[in-house]
Amino acid sequence: MTLRYTVPMHLASLSTLSKALLCRFFVACFIFSLAIAVMPSHAGSRILGTGGVSAIEGAAGGGLSPWAVLASTASEHEVGVTAAATRAWVDDYRLTVTGASLNIYDRAEVSVARQTLDLDTLGGELGQDIYGAKVRLLGDVLYHPWGIWSVGLQHKRLVDGTTPTALGADETHGTDIYLSASKLLFSAVAGRNVLLNATLRNTDANQGGLLGFGGNQDGRSWLAEGSVGLFVTPRWIIGAEYRQKPDNLSEAREDDWQSLYSAYFFNKHLSLTGAWLDLGDIAGLPSQRGGYLSLQAAF
Amino acid sequence: MRRYLMALMLTTITLSLASCAHNRNQATLYERLGGQPTIDAVVENLLYRIADDAEVVVFFANTNIDLFAESLASQLCDISDGPCRYEGPPMDRAHQHMGVTNVHFNRVVEHLDAAMEEEDVTLGARNELLGRLAPLYAEIMRLQ
Repeated sequence: MTLRYTVPMHLASLSTLSKALLCRFFVACFIFSLAIAVMPSHAGSRILGTGGVSAIEGAAGGGLSPWAVLASTASEHEVGVTAAATRAWVDDYRLTVTGASLNIYDRAEVSVARQTLDLDTLGGELGQDIYGAKVRLLGDVLYHPWGIWSVGLQHKRLVDGTTPTALGADETHGTDIYLSASKLLFSAVAGRNVLLNATLRNTDANQGGLLGFGGNQDGRSWLAEGSVGLFVTPRWIIGAEYRQKPDNLSEAREDDWQSLYSAYFFNKHLSLTGAWLDLGDIAGLPSQRGGYLSLQAAF
Repeated sequence: MRRYLMALMLTTITLSLASCAHNRNQATLYERLGGQPTIDAVVENLLYRIADDAEVVVFFANTNIDLFAESLASQLCDISDGPCRYEGPPMDRAHQHMGVTNVHFNRVVEHLDAAMEEEDVTLGARNELLGRLAPLYAEIMRLQ
């Protein structure tokens, strides 16, 4: 009896604690970002903006999808580190992502991300940890005629698989693999540079993994993701992103994701991304739309 | 939902077609850069930036700067459809075994763009010139 009541209380206090920690992390991240924004210090030598921003799964990319570019502006012989805090609000859910990545010689990127989805309407929360790696196969987003090509993987582990399993998911962990290509077209529209990205992902993750992996309707599938962005100025890009999604769970219909985004690079150390999201149906609640904010620090 | 993306893509395609048609009737890149006076000013500005950059200036230790400036200006004039012909060495031979890395290459690109910005070259002309210079990367790196 005692044990039965202790466990949920213990869990509740853990959840409160993790929220308090997260809040502190945001504040610390913000202060740190301000500090490095006003402090001249060493940055990678790649051109501003060529590291993209932090996607919700931790890899360098847009917001919803990883791009072929590697995080930060580290070039050959250089190492770059990024930290990012992201929040998305849609009608019935709130997603918080904290992540960090390491770019080694602009050849390999490793990343970690913790996602927490607050179920504002349904109650409770879902969380997963994502461990990512990306390797640049060839090219450069600016200088190579074919752009840059990378392959990556994302290993995802649910913190608590009870709800996803109840909805019909087969697994509580899974691994995505993807092939991605990015290319900047100089002076493509009204003298402005245009960034194109395409990603092909093999996955069995439901709602990116937050609703588990696999289900009664389907298993692994190849899905396409893409984005187009216009550099209005060298510091400011606006664009749209699209991510095809699987539909493995008959209990929880899943739609493709899309966004309209705007990212501003204050300098090589700090960027702020805002977006409007349309994520479709999530876990039985229809037409989830809302906003997105992400702050990234790189050094 | 997909209609939205289709509309955006169509707009993008229309815009780029419109800009292509617009460009055809427009002045050459050389003229939009500001002609020879601006190109000469950009080259001089760039050289001052390189002189202040310890990582890059070492490559110019045995370079006749006046000749280099003249050669670079004629190359920029040539590549932007101006009334010049670049007669200097090919890019791979000119940078042979210098030990140029991506780090140095990126630094010079940043210096060049900053020099153009300071000499009041429009963003459109800056982007177009950088786009025409980008393929030189492969040639410059070929014999490193």
